[in-house]
Amino acid sequence: MRALCWNGVNDLRVETVADPEILNPNDVILKVRLSTTCGSDLHLIDGLIPTMREGDVLGHEFMGEIVDVGRDVTKVAKGDRVVVPSFISCGQCWYCQHDLYSLCDTTHPKPELQEPLLGYPTAGIYAYSHAFGGYAGAHAEYVRVPFANTDCFKVPDGVSDETALFISDAAPTGFMGADFCDIQPGDVIAVWGCGGVGLMAQQSAMVLGAERVIAIDRYPERLAQAEAFGAIPLDYAKVDVVEALKELTGGRGPDACIDAVGMEAGGTGLQHAYDRVKQALYLETDRGTALRQAMLAVRKGGILSILGVYGVMDKFPLGLLMNKGVTVRTAQQHGQTYVPRLLEHAQRGELTPAALATHRFGLDDGPKGYAMFKHKEDGCLRAVFMP
Amino acid sequence: MSHAEAEAQADTATAASVTIGKPAAELRALWLKPETQSRIWSHFATVRAVDDRTVDWSVPGLTGGDYRWRTVTVEAAPERLRWSTQDGADVPNIGVLAFRPAPGDRGTELHLAVRFDPPGGAIGQALAKLFHIAPHEIVRTALYRFRALALTGEIPTTDPQPAARHDGTGR
Repeated sequence: MRALCWNGVNDLRVETVADPEILNPNDVILKVRLSTTCGSDLHLIDGLIPTMREGDVLGHEFMGEIVDVGRDVTKVAKGDRVVVPSFISCGQCWYCQHDLYSLCDTTHPKPELQEPLLGYPTAGIYAYSHAFGGYAGAHAEYVRVPFANTDCFKVPDGVSDETALFISDAAPTGFMGADFCDIQPGDVIAVWGCGGVGLMAQQSAMVLGAERVIAIDRYPERLAQAEAFGAIPLDYAKVDVVEALKELTGGRGPDACIDAVGMEAGGTGLQHAYDRVKQALYLETDRGTALRQAMLAVRKGGILSILGVYGVMDKFPLGLLMNKGVTVRTAQQHGQTYVPRLLEHAQRGELTPAALATHRFGLDDGPKGYAMFKHKEDGCLRAVFMP
Repeated sequence: MSHAEAEAQADTATAASVTIGKPAAELRALWLKPETQSRIWSHFATVRAVDDRTVDWSVPGLTGGDYRWRTVTVEAAPERLRWSTQDGADVPNIGVLAFRPAPGDRGTELHLAVRFDPPGGAIGQALAKLFHIAPHEIVRTALYRFRALALTGEIPTTDPQPAARHDGTGR
């Protein structure tokens, strides 16, 4: 089959690789209908995350049609159109049974690579380096999906492929970030970042009853999309964000702040990756700034919801959180908790993730799609691939 | 005991624990199945059950060739299994697996410890220099694989389809 492979720093190629096969009884094989780029991919591509290997098939946000099933698969069948969260979860362990799916105890094939970095292994994830499991990704004609009974969700009629696609990752991640905010009537929620996850967090906060949502970014087309979703746009390049947020909240500050920016680099905490970040000071400055701003802006006793992917940060102003009594909530997406509900919201038109699909490519144009996405050319919010 | 001796000895013993949300009796029965033994140790050794208390092990050495030994079960209590190598083992060792109730509704704690007695004595050769795997990974990975098998009926793998073209081990 054809697949988009990482071959080294900024070296993506579409290649012919072996078709995936059923390896375990709960596996299915999916014929990929759509897959999409994610900001976190850029740091793999840029070589900021160690334990990538030449030939790794990229892509962790996808949907498709089941074409083969393992012998223990009962809840889905050949021909089903399904969406799959990016973290692989068994549904049986203590974490899955407590809706903490991205912390699944049983799906990481290489825990020895990850445990030294985090203390314990997490769930495996598609195409996110070997420290996160080494599973092949979905920018390909086919992808193997383990634990289909837990991880494959049938897409109802009336929900398009493009809508379902983002219910794989951007939408559940954003929704979880809003859910973390424990939104009460009258609450004002500020969201740093108007990429796919940030926009979905904004729309989710509205679905969950926020009085007002404020969207912070500097790209006009992204701020325009946030405004189209009903958020109040704030260009951080033009205003003092903390002062503007005070003004918009009568001096109270947002009840909760969501960081959908992140400082992806050094995600596994290895010195190599961290050094790369330190070299690329603009990254550290820009992206650390968003989190520190959120800490400063959030109201006393408020909630800080962190969705951005972080590595190691050695200047973390803990005193802001402590003295203001801020509650911090954060996780990689527990997608399986949210996907059924998100499909219903999408069916009712309350969530419109298809708006993220600004650019479409055949799989053979994958490298071009990533280049446009990386440089935000032509207002590219997400590149969508159709294998 | 000299510092070097103490260090080498520490290096020959390794232990780990996991908690699995199942009753001890069920976990014990699964552990004792011959095919379970061959599956959970496959990162370290080729394991073949000779009968219900005798197991043959073969471990690739770092410098080529295999280390071989046979273990027999020397204790089979409900809450503890203990095994030990027979005479003639290339790397004599003993192992013990204890089952303890976990608090609340969390199931059973498994505590696994293995101690190797490398040829030449404790200071003759550090364990890490014998095998292709770090000592702590031997027991920890076995327990993680067992946990996955007990909870899901399968062991997570990407083999033979790792993301990477050549080497999916990430090493």
